[in-house]
Amino acid sequence: MAHSYKLRYFNLQGRAELARLVFAAAGVEYEDVRYEFADWPKHKASTPFGQIPVLEVDGKPLAQSNAIARYLAREFGLAGKTAWDQGQVDMLVETMMDIGAPVPKIRQCTDEDEKAKLKKSFAEEHLPHYMEAIQKILEENCEGKGFLVGDELTLADLAFMCGQDWLKLAMDNPLEKYPKLQKFVDRIAAIPKIAEWLKKRPETEL
Amino acid sequence: MMPNYKLKYFNFRGRAELARLVFAVAEVEYEDIRFAVEDWPKIKPTTPFGQAPVLEVDGKPLAQSSAIARYLGKEYGLAGKTNWEQAQVDMIMDTMEDILTPMRAIHFCKDEQQKAELQKKYQEETLPNYLKGLETFLCGNNGGDGYFVGSELTLADLTFMHYTGQVEVFVPNPLAKFPKLQALRERVEELPKIAAWIAKRPKTLR
Repeated sequence: MAHSYKLRYFNLQGRAELARLVFAAAGVEYEDVRYEFADWPKHKASTPFGQIPVLEVDGKPLAQSNAIARYLAREFGLAGKTAWDQGQVDMLVETMMDIGAPVPKIRQCTDEDEKAKLKKSFAEEHLPHYMEAIQKILEENCEGKGFLVGDELTLADLAFMCGQDWLKLAMDNPLEKYPKLQKFVDRIAAIPKIAEWLKKRPETEL
Repeated sequence: MMPNYKLKYFNFRGRAELARLVFAVAEVEYEDIRFAVEDWPKIKPTTPFGQAPVLEVDGKPLAQSSAIARYLGKEYGLAGKTNWEQAQVDMIMDTMEDILTPMRAIHFCKDEQQKAELQKKYQEETLPNYLKGLETFLCGNNGGDGYFVGSELTLADLTFMHYTGQVEVFVPNPLAKFPKLQALRERVEELPKIAAWIAKRPKTLR
């Protein structure tokens, strides 16, 4: 029997977008609940830890964005085919979090000189070794013509594609020096069910 | 045939301890490599993303502490018995990470007054709110007298035990007002294989 899914978050991509991409790639229906900031306080108490996103599966709650994304990926065959592949997928999803970690500080910085310094450091020191490592992983897997792990789409590919929007808050074109990675992201975004979601999803600030 | 495992990290508990705890509970042999801080620069380029810990399984590398813990957890029956249980375990693990992250930021804060204010807010609001959520979650399973998820020990309990120890480096007696959580911590620490590991592991500050 099909499960009923309700995903609760703000009206943003943010920490819910990876789960939404999994639903889209899997072609699975769900209720995409989006709160305005003003309404959030009255829903807070009905979450496990006072945070969103929360996924409700047949009414049972699951919190934490990556726990949600991994759960859905496993349900719909997007988590990696073997235990080792799943480990590699997890590694790449966690690494995307590390890559994006300096972004909030850059966004919140109000001193223009300091902000410029942080952005420079992000682009020239922080980003390159990660992107080079991921490009190498892609090249060594199916000669870079396929996916990051194994021979089918996984959460790792979705997380890498989805993560680019977050990185763009700290620099204009994160993949400028990595054409193979840009081609890869374009390829993922062009997968029909994903392209359809990208076209129809609400336009939001983040 | 048992895989050959090498776990590479600094001589701390830190981000490798969860993997070490899984090995201890599963009674699986591994090489517990601990390198000196001054040796790190020459080891760094040999890792997937310039970070430690790294787990090598028959020579193949897996990075990211939680990816490593989840991989080993799944191999040795500590990850949760169903997909839903695995997701609940993930949720607790990620929540423990959320508890620790602000503590690290406070630790590195250079302004003494700001540091004191942040520490006060963390100790009086942030931490208790999370712990309340965890105690409520625990009590929803067997009245809170067993484990976080299901009827057996999982990564959720190990992560809780280990991370509480990390919080304790900064906040004395964090579980004082949460009797069920305190009892769970003691219960886990007293499991024979874990007690044996705690007794014999190298004594390090964190």
